[in-house]
Amino acid sequence: MTPTLEETFREEWPRAVAILTRVLGDLSLAEDAVQDAFTRALERWPRDGTPRAPGAWILTTARNGAIDRIRREKTFARKAELLARLDEIPDEEDGDVSSIPDERLALLFTCCHPALAVEARVALTLREVGGLATPEIARAFLVSERTLAQRLVRAKRRVRDTGIPFRVPPDHLLPERVPDVLRVIYLVFNEGYAATSGDALVRRELCAEAVRLAKLLCVLMPDEPEAFGLLALLLLQDSRRDARIGADGELVLLADQDRSRWDRAAIDEGLRMLTRAEALRRPGPYQLQAAIAAGHAEGSDPAVIADVYAALERIDPSPVVRLNRAVAVALAGDVEQGLELVDSIEGLEGYSYLHAARADLLRRLGRFDEASASYRQALALTDNAPERRFFERRLRELETERL
Amino acid sequence: MKYALLIYSDQSSWEGLDEEEAARRRAESMPRWIALFEEMGKADPGAEGRELVAASEAKVVRVVDGERVVTDGPFAETKEQIGGLFMTDLSDLDEAIRIASLVPAAEYGSLEIRPIVTQ
Repeated sequence: MTPTLEETFREEWPRAVAILTRVLGDLSLAEDAVQDAFTRALERWPRDGTPRAPGAWILTTARNGAIDRIRREKTFARKAELLARLDEIPDEEDGDVSSIPDERLALLFTCCHPALAVEARVALTLREVGGLATPEIARAFLVSERTLAQRLVRAKRRVRDTGIPFRVPPDHLLPERVPDVLRVIYLVFNEGYAATSGDALVRRELCAEAVRLAKLLCVLMPDEPEAFGLLALLLLQDSRRDARIGADGELVLLADQDRSRWDRAAIDEGLRMLTRAEALRRPGPYQLQAAIAAGHAEGSDPAVIADVYAALERIDPSPVVRLNRAVAVALAGDVEQGLELVDSIEGLEGYSYLHAARADLLRRLGRFDEASASYRQALALTDNAPERRFFERRLRELETERL
Repeated sequence: MKYALLIYSDQSSWEGLDEEEAARRRAESMPRWIALFEEMGKADPGAEGRELVAASEAKVVRVVDGERVVTDGPFAETKEQIGGLFMTDLSDLDEAIRIASLVPAAEYGSLEIRPIVTQ
């Protein structure tokens, strides 16, 4: 099957931006030149046909565009230096680019550098590595195009002005830098999966984009178990996307979901990725979360799932992990202990799910008044329509249960 | 890339010390300073460092409505003051962060990395 124009663009964009950034040492200049090449491709390809080697065409056209831009540089020395560097890229549109190394991993690490604000990392990664256009990213994050464009400009300026390196970090830095990359990809997914408002289609695309980025990371870092762990986690969570929203648009809890609406292919792929991760024998938080998601998908014993949560809490002692563990413990049969765990959590007072989870446990223990109070607290903390409907329904059910 | 590494620390913590204690503290951190100079020399043979006289000795000059106003003491009433600085030429921000974290003062104060405008 021939890839569509859009697929070609999305594939070739980060390759070209990455190579030109390495050659020119300037992300902004590289992006502008690649943007010019894509604009030209949009005019030419539909008319003249897609070139035999689209990647080489884009790279060479971007190279030539960069030359035009460099000619406008003020100082002769800089002009000469930049032009000399471009010699590495062929000037024939069907030239051989196979010997030019793939620099996409360096690009990913630059975009996810900890010296950038988290929202800047996410935007930059979607733009440069994901190849998404600025308006698309702006829509996904519910900000104006102007705001997002400024965010990108500021991020690129910061990369240049503070000397954020364009390279894959050396081995001794990887343990601290890989989690930054994983986190950005996870944030992209989460924005699409658990966002509190927005257009469903845009959000679905954001999840698909996160999966694409995770797959790319697996290709680029085939020995990194957490990359496969993350991919497995995203696939397994995404497999339940359709089942978690009911016919009336309300949230459906895992236990009540119609399993026939789970995406079996995504589950199978997720399980395969988890197996690959585990074969590398270096466990980590994403692998454990994926193992939990796999446990749910395969209907594992709730006690086993609670144990994996306990292991996760040992390496990631965050309040959200503890909350999930509490729910798992209750599901495994010990509701009292689950409630005790929930009540030991500090720092999640503003999180609607904490109050909803507490309410559910109280209801199961027959403490209806306290359960109602907790559902009301949860309701007060969210604007998300499906969530609100869900909490309201639970509240009504409580009223009938008490009669 | 050229970076200024600014060393901030609470200098008042040294003020009450007797000579002996101050000398002991200096001697204690000396091996780490030597290790820093060695690493910095490898990363940038032209690196320069300067220690500043205590901030309490500073003079602050302002021109207000054309009038020169000179006051004593540091400009800002913060606990941490600049006690010294390095001027370095390093490969990138990661390298600047690595070198800055080797400065002994990073443990009791903080290091600020400021890229220097070059164009």
